[in-house]
Amino acid sequence: MRGRRVLAVARKSLSQFRHDRRTLGFVIGMPLLMVLAFGYTFGGEVHEVRTLVVNEDTGSFADLLLENITGDALTLVPWSSEEGAREEVQAGRAWAALVFPANFSEELLARRASIRAMLDGSSPTIVAAVLGTLRAAAERAFAGAGGAAALSLQPDFVYGSEDTRFIDSFAPGVVVLAVLMVTTVFSVIIIVREKAGGMLERLFATPLRPSELVVGHALALALVAFAQSVVVLGAALLIFQVQIVGSLPLAFGVLLLFAVGNQGLGMMLSAAARNELQAVQFIPLVLFPSLLLTGVFFPLEAIPAGLRGISLAVPMTYANDALKSIMLRGWGALQLWLDLTILAVYDALMLLGASFFVRRQA
Amino acid sequence: MAEADAARVPAIACKDLQKSFGDVRALDRLSLRVPQRLTFGLLGPNGAGKTTSIRVWLGLIRPDGGSASVLGTPVPPRSILPRIGYMPQDLAVYTDLTVEENLALFGRLVGMDEGAIDRRTGAVLRLVDIAERREDLVATLSGGMRRRTSLAAAFLHDPDLLLLDEPTVGVDPELRAAFWRFFAELTARGKTVVITTHYMEEASRCDLVGLMHGGRILALGAPAELKARTGTANLDDAFLALVRGAGGSPA
Repeated sequence: MRGRRVLAVARKSLSQFRHDRRTLGFVIGMPLLMVLAFGYTFGGEVHEVRTLVVNEDTGSFADLLLENITGDALTLVPWSSEEGAREEVQAGRAWAALVFPANFSEELLARRASIRAMLDGSSPTIVAAVLGTLRAAAERAFAGAGGAAALSLQPDFVYGSEDTRFIDSFAPGVVVLAVLMVTTVFSVIIIVREKAGGMLERLFATPLRPSELVVGHALALALVAFAQSVVVLGAALLIFQVQIVGSLPLAFGVLLLFAVGNQGLGMMLSAAARNELQAVQFIPLVLFPSLLLTGVFFPLEAIPAGLRGISLAVPMTYANDALKSIMLRGWGALQLWLDLTILAVYDALMLLGASFFVRRQA
Repeated sequence: MAEADAARVPAIACKDLQKSFGDVRALDRLSLRVPQRLTFGLLGPNGAGKTTSIRVWLGLIRPDGGSASVLGTPVPPRSILPRIGYMPQDLAVYTDLTVEENLALFGRLVGMDEGAIDRRTGAVLRLVDIAERREDLVATLSGGMRRRTSLAAAFLHDPDLLLLDEPTVGVDPELRAAFWRFFAELTARGKTVVITTHYMEEASRCDLVGLMHGGRILALGAPAELKARTGTANLDDAFLALVRGAGGSPA
């Protein structure tokens, strides 16, 4: 090994970086972005979990307990009726509802009081936070009196159950993430590769339109994405016996809708990239916000308020929410209309955007 | 009568075409008229504006000024693209497809039906002499064979006008001779072949030659005519004489 030759190669590599400003930006900016994103989201604490309180207690112990719920983990909202509260949880507008019966204070004195906690068990993290916060508050409120021991929590799972394993709640997110990765990786290369060999110009010397090229690619990629969804979801269902309460075809529909949008996004980035290296660097740019901010690993309630806006702007938030609601809550298309609409708009915008960028290349 | 009129329409006509890329003026008031049914050679050094001209004629780039029409249709000639065959300089065939898959793709894009594609594929591959490699991946072909595949894709649909950008660069003499025989056959059948080249001696095989330099046409005429006009023995010298006359220096 000759030092001079090694240095010549090293120097060549650095020169290539220097000539590719965008790559240089990525090299510096991407790690910074990653650290910031991880740092801000790995707090792990949930915040402002919407929790309804149906307080029918004729005594004052329920109020005492509620006063001892401190911190910002739960946002308590008084609610008038138990049925109304249940409907809110069923509709996904609240994570939990606490019901204090009329004789709560009496029963507590008799050392046999119970609180019913209606729970959306589709997120074990949130269930744990609700129950944990409640126990801590009971400790504080009744510590001296030894009342905490006299108080039992009766979880009433509106969705999921005590048996909902972490993997069950996790599976939809992982499936969505897998679909995101495979669709992005494929599509982000596709246009830049055509550009490289002069293929794009050759294709546009025929009557082919940019939008036809984009939709044609999307069609082929959608078939690939569908096969990949079958593998991923199939493995989750068969190997890990992940539960799916709702409709399987609807689950595939959501994944396909999500996949097409990702491919549009990938092709758009691909058309914007000058070379394959630049194209590949877009992948973490898509992956990171999706990984951290969409409720896959941390519920949206655990994401700092400042980043919540980004969460709502990342399409995977809706794909994840939709798949979760199908698999764990058994929701149908009607209940998912918002997620489905947003994903359809995402598809349309990305395919249009990809066509626009491809046209500019020609 | 209508056919005779159609034949009188120039294959290429442009007037005062201008195109700049940043500070580089690729086309500088290019004016040109190429009749149909002949082989036209656009001759000039690298950077003369030959490829830019072809890209404008195909509608791949928009000129900054001036006008151009191809087979009587103003650029971009979208509606008549199926009547044009194009072979770019960098070949542009999918190396991860077979020869016939490449041809089928381009056939479908110009609107040929499957039966016609199938019939023509066999015929054009025999013409360019790679019929036996029909089912092979282009990646496994030699450079010359890839070039033949690209040419086959360009005239699969029997276009009236072939635009070939440096079709003979890096082609061995035998294949080059075959290409020229083929071009002669096409013009005999009423087709028009436009090629760009920077090989002067090759341009002398064209019916009509345009000497291009600095984004404009310095001279247009039959090869013999150009030599006579400049009093030179070959196109190389004719070109140099014309460049000097124009007050420029050859690149």
